[in-house]
Amino acid sequence: MKGCDFTVRIGAAAGDGIQSAGEMIMKVMSRSGLYVSTYNGNQSLIRGGHVWFHIHASSRRVYSLGYGIDFLIPLTQLAYDQHYENVNESGAIIYDPSVVKVHDLSQKVKKYEVPLAQIALKYDKRPIMKNTVALGALTAVLGIDFNVLAKSISDQFGRKEPSVAENNIKAAKDGYDTVVAEGGSLVDYDYDYASAKPVLTADYAIALGAVNAGCRFYAAYPMSPASPIVHWMTAHAKKLGLTVFLGEDEISVVNATIGASYAGARAMCATSGGGFSLMQEAIGQAAMTETPLVVVDVMRAGPSTGLPTKTSQGDLNMMLGISHDDFPRAIIAPRNPEESYNVAERAFNIAERYQLPVIILLDFAIGDGGYATVENINTEFSIDRGKLLTSADPELLNGTWFKRFVLTDDYISPRTIPGTEGMMFVAKTDEHDEWGHDLSDVLAGLKEYLPIRERMHEKRMKKLELLAKEMRPPELIGPSVADISIITWGSSANPVREALERLWNEGVSVNSFEFSDLYPINKEEVRKMLASTGKMVMVEANYSGQFEKLLKRELGIDMAAHIRKYNGEPFYPIEIEKGVVGIRKEVHALA
Amino acid sequence: MLEPKMYESDTRPDWCPGCGDFGVLAALKDALIKSGKKPHEVVIVSGIGCSSNLPGYIRAYGFHGLHGRPVPVAVGIKTANPNLTVIATAGDGDEYGIGFNHVVHAARRNDDIKLIVMNNEIYGLTTGQLSPTSRLGQKTKTSPDGSIIYPLKPLPTILGAGGTFIARTFSGDPKHFSWVIQEALNHRGFALIDAISPCVTWHNIYDEVKKLFYKLEDRGYKPDDEHEAYKAMSDPEGIPIGIFYRREDKPSFQERLAEQNLGKWPVHNVSPLPKNTVEELLYEFS
Repeated sequence: MKGCDFTVRIGAAAGDGIQSAGEMIMKVMSRSGLYVSTYNGNQSLIRGGHVWFHIHASSRRVYSLGYGIDFLIPLTQLAYDQHYENVNESGAIIYDPSVVKVHDLSQKVKKYEVPLAQIALKYDKRPIMKNTVALGALTAVLGIDFNVLAKSISDQFGRKEPSVAENNIKAAKDGYDTVVAEGGSLVDYDYDYASAKPVLTADYAIALGAVNAGCRFYAAYPMSPASPIVHWMTAHAKKLGLTVFLGEDEISVVNATIGASYAGARAMCATSGGGFSLMQEAIGQAAMTETPLVVVDVMRAGPSTGLPTKTSQGDLNMMLGISHDDFPRAIIAPRNPEESYNVAERAFNIAERYQLPVIILLDFAIGDGGYATVENINTEFSIDRGKLLTSADPELLNGTWFKRFVLTDDYISPRTIPGTEGMMFVAKTDEHDEWGHDLSDVLAGLKEYLPIRERMHEKRMKKLELLAKEMRPPELIGPSVADISIITWGSSANPVREALERLWNEGVSVNSFEFSDLYPINKEEVRKMLASTGKMVMVEANYSGQFEKLLKRELGIDMAAHIRKYNGEPFYPIEIEKGVVGIRKEVHALA
Repeated sequence: MLEPKMYESDTRPDWCPGCGDFGVLAALKDALIKSGKKPHEVVIVSGIGCSSNLPGYIRAYGFHGLHGRPVPVAVGIKTANPNLTVIATAGDGDEYGIGFNHVVHAARRNDDIKLIVMNNEIYGLTTGQLSPTSRLGQKTKTSPDGSIIYPLKPLPTILGAGGTFIARTFSGDPKHFSWVIQEALNHRGFALIDAISPCVTWHNIYDEVKKLFYKLEDRGYKPDDEHEAYKAMSDPEGIPIGIFYRREDKPSFQERLAEQNLGKWPVHNVSPLPKNTVEELLYEFS
C-alpha cells in the first residue's frame, strides 16, 4: 500500500447536512483502510451560520487534525472565505462556481468545478443533496472505489425511505462522474478496503467502556458536549439491558447515581462544566458517605454557559476543588477515544476499591467533537468490587448496626448493600463514627469525640496516598533525553504527537510526556519520569495553566515556558511546532 | 416472624420532648411491621433538618444525605434495585423548599417511592425561620412582623403534577398515621404523605390541629376523583386528614423501565459484556 496522509474539510451553513456528510467521508476513509481523526467545527444553532467538518486520514496512525487543508469543499461563500487561506499548495478545492467565488487562491491549488446545486436539483426540489454530490466528486479526486461511498450513503440514510439513499447515491455518482470526465484522480494512493477500522468519539467510547465495566445505571440531563453519551445509552438500552434515568436537572442526576451506587449498582453520570457546577455538593456527599461514584465531565469553553460547542481544558481547577472542605477524589483525563474506552475499567475499579468519586475529564475536541480510529481495545474487562461483603460479618455487628465506617490499616472499610441480611447501616453525609452514628448534632465538639472526627477525616483523606501509588505516570513519546520536553495532558497530547514528528524531521531535540492520570499524582514515579527532562514546556488548552500549577503545587516543578490556547478551538500541530521552535530560539539565545 | 424490636435502633432520638416526629417514627415502625417488610429490605432516605435524623432511629438501611435531595437518592436506589422498599422521610424545608422540583418530577414519573414530609411550617433545626409552608402573617425569626409570603400548597400542586397517591396525616394520631403509611406501601408508584408534625419549640400548633382535624374516611370520602380531591384539599374551615387521591391504573416509572432494561436491574447485572458484543459495538460508527 502506498502511504498517504491528507486532510479534507467541508464547510457550509448549519442545516446543510455537514455533520452527516463529514461522518460519511469518515466512513469512506476508515473503510478504505485509513486511520482517521476528525473534528466537528459546529455552532450552537440549528440552521444558518457556518459549520465545518475536518478529517485527517492516513495510512499511518493519526492523532489530530494534521497540517492545513489538502481538499477543501466549501458549499457556501462564507465557508470558502473562512478556510481558503489554510489550503495547502499541493491541495485541491471542489466547489460550485455558481455559488462560490474563488478569490486569492494559489494557482497551484487544483480547482474542481462541479455544478453541485444543478446536479442536486435533478433529484429533489431543493438542492439539499449538494453535499453528497460533493462527496462523489471527492471520492473521484481521491481515486476511491465509488461503491465504498455508495455503501456509506445507504448506511447513513438506512432508517429513511429507500428512495432517499437511492437518490443520494445517484447524485453522488453524478458528482463522481463529473470529476472523472474532467480528468479524474489527482492522487495515486492505494487503499486496503478489506481492513476497515473502528472509529469512535470519546463520548461513545466512554459509554461503551462503562457498560463493559458493568455499569447498567446511567443518569443524565442533556448538555453539550456530553449529550452523545446519553444518546448512545438510550439507543442501546434494550439491547444491552441498561437502565437510563433522565433526571429533571443535574442535581437529581448525580444524587440518583449516588443512590444507585449505594444500592450496589455500578452507576455513572456525565455532564459538561455548567452541569458539573450543580453536581458539586453531591459529589462531596459521595465522598463523605464513601459511596463509589464515576462522573464524566466533557469540558467546553468558558465559564457560565460559555461556548457550548467549543473546546477547552479549563475545568481541572474545579475538579481539584470540588465542593467544600477536603475530600479525596481521582481525576483521569483520557487522551483519545481509545483511552476513554479503556479507562472505564480502571475508573469503576478505583471508585469501588477506594469508595470515592472518580472524575473522568474529556473535552469537546475528542468528546462530541471528534472521531478517531481506535486500536488496542481490551474487550475483556475485569471487575474488582473492592471490599464488598455479601453476608454478615459478626465482628462488624453490634446486634443492631453494621460497622460500616470501621477504621482499618488501609483506611478502607468493608461495605455492604441494602438487601444484605443483618448488615444494616446508615450512610451518613454528616460526620459520623465507625458505626455511622451522627457526630454532628449532639457530639461534635465534646472532647471525647474530637479525635473521632479527626480519625474519620484522616481515614478518608489517606486513601489518596494509597491510590496515588497506582496512578500512572506520564507516557514518554520520543527519545528519553532531549533538549526540550513538552509536558501535556488529555486531548492536547494529540496535536503534540503530530508536531513531534515534524520537529524531529527539522532536527529539533524534543520529546513529550503525556499525562492522563492527573490526581492524585504518583509523586515518586512522576519525579522519576521527569528527572531527566530538557527545558520543560507545558501545552494545555486553558488560560491560567491549571495543570502547570498543579505540578508546581504537588512537585515544585517549574516550566521553562508554556503554550496555551483558549479561543475555543483545539490545538493544531503547527501551533505546537511554531511554539517549540520559538522557544528553542529563546533557549539558544539565552545559552 | 416480624417483631417490633427488629426495627429498634440503639440510638435515641435527640428531638425536643413532645416533638411530633416521635409519633412519625412510631407510626413508621408500626406500618413496616404490619406490612410484613423485613428491615434489611427497607431503605430510609433523608435530607437535612430535625426530621431527617430519623434513619438513625430505625433499624433498617439508611441514607442520610443532603438538604433537599432525599427524593433523587431514593429514586436512584429504587431504580437500581426495585426489590427494596424505599421510603424518603424529610421536612417541609427539604421537600417543599430546596428540593420541591424533585418531588414534582417524582410525582410526574410515578417513581415507586414513598415520601413522608414532616411538615411543621417552620425551619426547626436552624432555630425557627420562615419555611415554604409558613402561614401568611406567621411570626418567625425571619419574619418578625409576620410573613408577607403566601404558603405553598403542596398537595394540590402534586396532584396537578400527576401524583397518584396523595395523603395527609397527623403525628398526634399514630394509628391513622400507620394506616396511611401501610396504604402507601401497598400503592403502585409514588406516594406523598404530608404529615402534620408540629414543632413544639418554634411553632406549636398542636392545640389548633387537634381542634380542626377530621378524617376524610369518616365522612364517606372516596379518593378516586381528581376534582373532589382538589376540593377536599382546599377546605378553608378544617384540616382534613386521610387519603385525598389514589389511582392504581398508572404503572410506576420502575415498571416502565423494566420494558427498557428487560427486567435486568443494575444491581443484579454488574458484569462485562460478551466479547463479540463489544466488538460489534466498536464497529457501529465505522
